[in-house]
Amino acid sequence: MNNTLSTTDPRTKLISSKLKKEAYKADALIEVLHTAQNIYGYLPIPVLAYISKSLHLPPSRVYATVSFYHFFSLKPKGEHTCLVCTGTACYVKGAQQILEKIEQVFHLKPGETSKDNKLGIQVARCVGACGLAPVVVLDDEVQGNIVSEEFTQTMKEKMGLL
Amino acid sequence: MNTIHVNINNIEIPTTADKTILDVCREHKIDIPTMCHLKGLSDVGACRLCIVEIEGMNKLQSACTTKVADHMIIQTNTDRIKKYRRITTELFFAERNHVCSVCVANGKCELQNLGYQVEMDHVRYPFLFPQCEVDTSHPWYVMDHNRCIMCTRCVRVCQEVEGAHNWDVMNRGHAVRIISDFNTPWGESTTCTSCGKCLHACPTGAIWPKAIVQGQLEKKPEIIEELIEKRKMHDGF
Ligand code: SF4
Ligand code: FES
Repeated sequence: MNNTLSTTDPRTKLISSKLKKEAYKADALIEVLHTAQNIYGYLPIPVLAYISKSLHLPPSRVYATVSFYHFFSLKPKGEHTCLVCTGTACYVKGAQQILEKIEQVFHLKPGETSKDNKLGIQVARCVGACGLAPVVVLDDEVQGNIVSEEFTQTMKEKMGLL
Repeated sequence: MNTIHVNINNIEIPTTADKTILDVCREHKIDIPTMCHLKGLSDVGACRLCIVEIEGMNKLQSACTTKVADHMIIQTNTDRIKKYRRITTELFFAERNHVCSVCVANGKCELQNLGYQVEMDHVRYPFLFPQCEVDTSHPWYVMDHNRCIMCTRCVRVCQEVEGAHNWDVMNRGHAVRIISDFNTPWGESTTCTSCGKCLHACPTGAIWPKAIVQGQLEKKPEIIEELIEKRKMHDGF
């Protein structure tokens, strides 16, 4: 695996200046990961390797931290993101059916991103809009009272597939 | 250090306040089953097998992480404790895929022994049958996640004694797994020194040397403590 980052890539510079700002302190790991995810949209392994070296943290500790927090993603999130709320209210109102329908239509399970990187499916525990249950956040836009049949159509429209 | 007195199972025991309840019990041959505790390593209180009742406290406490205090009254084998130990043991077996009859650790496994000890004749919980990998990429050792109980003894021995920190824990809930490096195959790890300490620390047949078959595993968990002792000896020179 090629674990080195290109030194001419401006994104590498952004990360190294963040590391410098945090004085390479090991306890700044989460801060640095936040920055990296904002820059890359997700956390590629070479970036994690770079961070682990710079902060003198074991690779497995960095990976453990990344995989523990749902906020961090090890895979590209996709051009369009569809986040299905599986909090209690949405669960009761049929979040599972929405996920099943999405899987039927797009062949994607939660956490997966389509091969062409167009669509990523995520789940979250309660986005705080229980009154609108079941809720899906499509490209940062909250959609309430979802009916799964119609919704996959809406998704296709949004993605410019229709 | 000043002598204090604790009462364990109605026996008065003089001791010192720097010890855990488990230390004191082990010194006095009072049996407490443990799984995540390994002498010489830090304690994390993860397995919940060493739970004891302390008078004046409603919640059960883990003996490995609770220090003794003067006049503490402790019970280590009440019906309530036995009930919870049995539940915990059953959950261990239900969580992954443990098939003793074909395991390298058969007859020498701490988990298997625990099953006998708590008289587990059946498991009352549905088995989860998770999909687990068997990592055979290391030239000498195998990591079989089917048999792992997530005690993290391998993680701690690698970090605290060997100093390599090859292992850690990824994800959470049912998805937790022991990983090396960036969830890299063990054989491709850049931090593993192939020292084999994790193999001796592991209570089950999850980590074992290649080229042995069913029931042949020989583990020496006590070498971990011996190593630490010997190092202290050399430090004195
Ligand atoms: S591999 Fe063995 S030592 Fe490591 S966490 Fe699993 S059971 Fe414990
Ligand atoms: S030995 Fe105390 S919690 Fe595992």
